[in-house]
Amino acid sequence: MSAHDILFAALRRLCPDEEVPDAIAARAGALARAMQACLPPLEFPDLVENFVARVTAEKVGATVEVLAGWEHLPDAVARYALAQGLEQEVALQPDPRLLALDWGFVRDVPLKSDTMIAVGVARGGIAETGSLLFHSGPDAPTLYGFMPLHHIVALETRTIVARFEDYTAQEQGKPHPRNVNFITGASGTTDIEGVLARGAHGPRRLHILLIG
Amino acid sequence: MNADRGELAGTFKERARKALGDAHLRVALDRTTGNARTKRAAAVAAWPDFDRARAAAAAIKDHALQNFPYYLEQFERNALASGARLHWARDAKEACAAVIKICRETRAKTVTRSKSMLGEEIGLPHALAEAGVRRVETDLAEHIIQLAGETPSHIIWPAAHRTREDVSKLFEKHHRDHLLLTEVEAMVDSARRELRDDFFSADVGISGANFLVAETGAICTITNEGNAELTTTPPRVHIVTAGIEKIVATTEHALQLTRVLVRSATGADLTQYTTFHCGPKRAGDLDGPEEFHIVLVDHGRTQMLEDMPEMLRCLRCGACLNHCVVYRKIGGHAYGGAYPGPMGSAITPVFDGLEPSRDLPHACTLNGHCKQVCPVDIPLPTILRDWRAKSYRQGFESRAVRLGLALWAFIASKPALYRAALAVALPLLRRRGKDGWISALPFAPGWTESRDFPAPPEKTFLARIASGEEA
Amino acid sequence: MVQNVHPGGPRVGLFATCLVDMLRPNIGFSALELLRAAGCTVEIPKTQTCCGQPAYNSGDDASARKLARQVIEIFEGFDYLVAPSGSCAATIRVHYPDLFRAEPAMRARAEKLSAKTWELLSFLVDVRGFAPTGVSCKASATYHDTCSGLRELGIKTQPRALLSAIEGLEMRALEGEETCCGFGGTFCVKYSEISDAIVTEKAENVVATGADLLLGGDLGCLLNMAGKLRRAGAPIRVFHAAELLAGRAIHAIGEEKP
Ligand code: SF4
Repeated sequence: MSAHDILFAALRRLCPDEEVPDAIAARAGALARAMQACLPPLEFPDLVENFVARVTAEKVGATVEVLAGWEHLPDAVARYALAQGLEQEVALQPDPRLLALDWGFVRDVPLKSDTMIAVGVARGGIAETGSLLFHSGPDAPTLYGFMPLHHIVALETRTIVARFEDYTAQEQGKPHPRNVNFITGASGTTDIEGVLARGAHGPRRLHILLIG
Repeated sequence: MNADRGELAGTFKERARKALGDAHLRVALDRTTGNARTKRAAAVAAWPDFDRARAAAAAIKDHALQNFPYYLEQFERNALASGARLHWARDAKEACAAVIKICRETRAKTVTRSKSMLGEEIGLPHALAEAGVRRVETDLAEHIIQLAGETPSHIIWPAAHRTREDVSKLFEKHHRDHLLLTEVEAMVDSARRELRDDFFSADVGISGANFLVAETGAICTITNEGNAELTTTPPRVHIVTAGIEKIVATTEHALQLTRVLVRSATGADLTQYTTFHCGPKRAGDLDGPEEFHIVLVDHGRTQMLEDMPEMLRCLRCGACLNHCVVYRKIGGHAYGGAYPGPMGSAITPVFDGLEPSRDLPHACTLNGHCKQVCPVDIPLPTILRDWRAKSYRQGFESRAVRLGLALWAFIASKPALYRAALAVALPLLRRRGKDGWISALPFAPGWTESRDFPAPPEKTFLARIASGEEA
Repeated sequence: MVQNVHPGGPRVGLFATCLVDMLRPNIGFSALELLRAAGCTVEIPKTQTCCGQPAYNSGDDASARKLARQVIEIFEGFDYLVAPSGSCAATIRVHYPDLFRAEPAMRARAEKLSAKTWELLSFLVDVRGFAPTGVSCKASATYHDTCSGLRELGIKTQPRALLSAIEGLEMRALEGEETCCGFGGTFCVKYSEISDAIVTEKAENVVATGADLLLGGDLGCLLNMAGKLRRAGAPIRVFHAAELLAGRAIHAIGEEKP
């Protein structure tokens, strides 16, 4: 017998109370609802307000700017680079919404291991934690969120949901992308004495441009 | 397998004594666990129903374990469909062999690794070294202990035994730019520079998994630094090593467990990076591994399912370590296994056998703080006491202990004899006292090495009651 | 068997615990007085010895069962079993049923006793709604929550509520009041160096309160802390909370002249 078969034989012997598939699924759903019933309420009833409060809280530490539309994005990026004393060079995630914009004097450069700024688009946001959601794909390579020192992310406010459970409900029955990333603040580590320090390997700064 | 390592040499008591004498270690432990306790307390205070959530989390894990074969099979089916390749390992040896085989087939010279306690448990670092593969640990703490040539001393903060001053010295010595740094930020920066190139030149990236999601076949990693994604995305091959108990039913369950896990570990609402990895690079993808392997490891899990199923709920959050008075005094290396603290004492006997590790379940006051803070309500004190009972039944306890307990039970079960014995013994003991205190006890020298013992009274409570004294 | 009849009140079997019996009768007398003041008919069965906790925690289940059976036989006829110790009460209440999991008949008896077993201070508050009257003590005190009582029986507010009725007593917060003192029964002898490190930190925290008195609800832990404080030369006096509540806090642990 293979390791696989031996293992499954042992598990079958040790799990005599296994239910039938329908009952299992019903039970899994009930358990998820039971957990939902004890969640702490969101601080603000407005999802965008709650998202901003969480993501800018000290322990998450991102910055947020609100923009009236996609067309204001290049300006906001340019201003950010200027304020940070960085060159007007960014690696643009190949998202059609970004590529369609007029970037003026901001240059689009390839993503490299020492890229200073990358600009991306989040697929959604989670209000309860201030998390950004990304699905990998041809227009959303994973590494844009991890290689640069500064990660600027555009997020449409209408895509913000209250909780993780709302996200999973939305995704029910849809194919799973290769990577689902929830990004909550800039990279940090508490590995030295439990003290938080930013920019361990991923971005040191996370700047969110909310498009409302 | 690590018995030759300096910090793991000797018996439990020898290692504990060494740790207790190490004032520097105490500083490091106090800082890390103190910070962790403060942050967890703040996170829990902001969640009024946290205790109910712990019960709900335990039920979610129990559900997966109750239907273990069903969910594991579902995971297998979905993972295969995503293009992942699965390898099943019954023990540490088979697990390491599976990883090494993939490395050989890839002709890997360098592997990057993001922290995985399972890797430590199965001795993967050692196996990679034997196979001549260069291993680069990318988690900051793992990087620190790799430079120091040590093993992790905490499951969340592997370098919990190291102060910032230690890290500064290590980096000055080993990093290419040999800078003497005093600020934590600058040290983090130095590690970033040092490890940057390895992320992109490694042939294989190895990660663990916090969850195996049955409904999708994805594996979930949870990190703060972003090193997991940088470890697993650029190399041609991504290998996941995971214990089979990481199985959960759905993405929703995984995220719900993450909520309690992260709060218990670092006090954050969510770690910076929570990622579900599902299969290799797809058509049109600009990045991602070409091969995606998952090594699924039993190594005692089926045994635990039989003997202490609650232990398989463990999310490896480390809260039980941070709140354990014993761990806080002796640190992780004294425990001698991959996992220290209460959860380590509960599972190390499964891996190493009870006889050589029987000190672990005994070196505990059974105060229950670990259970109280555990996000999945694992009855750790009960599990540790059950190990004691097993150790007693199997005759591992010393003759002196067995005789002492038997004698006490014999006398205490004969009330008249008990009264008579006390009537003789107490005055004798009382005579050893000076100013009301005894400074050397004949039967328990361990007590009076560091504490005084009050001299007993002339007569017992019951003797006084029997002689008609009312109050 | 000593009896104090309070018509109408429940019949309470006072389980003094072996440590109190041997080392600190004053706690037993304090418990007796408090229970009577709370309207109970108190009996002190004279065949009582030890609840078996040392054997149970050492994994010697056979010995633990032997003593558990004895306790069940002695106390099952009472309305309540009350003990001035969180850990002994927890052994009976939480662990006895488990000890007899393979003997259904004994298990049923263990469960019945478990349901009516109480630690003294929580019994006074939760069952009897008792508050002491006319007790005064001009001193400052700090309270250590002993682990078994706190985590196995949920004793936290009850001792504080009782102590708040003592006139002149100033309570001071103890840093790490819910952190184990390092006693752990046989642990403190078997792993005495680790235990010492833990109780050293506890003693430092106690001293830092600047309080005159250290109070708690479990004699084992109190002996551990008192012994450490004494060895460290700290002048803090250590009492079981019941001694203070009964107005019997005259000689602290170690103060009774030989
Ligand atoms: S036993 Fe509980 S507290 Fe300890 S690491 Fe596991 S989940 Fe966390």
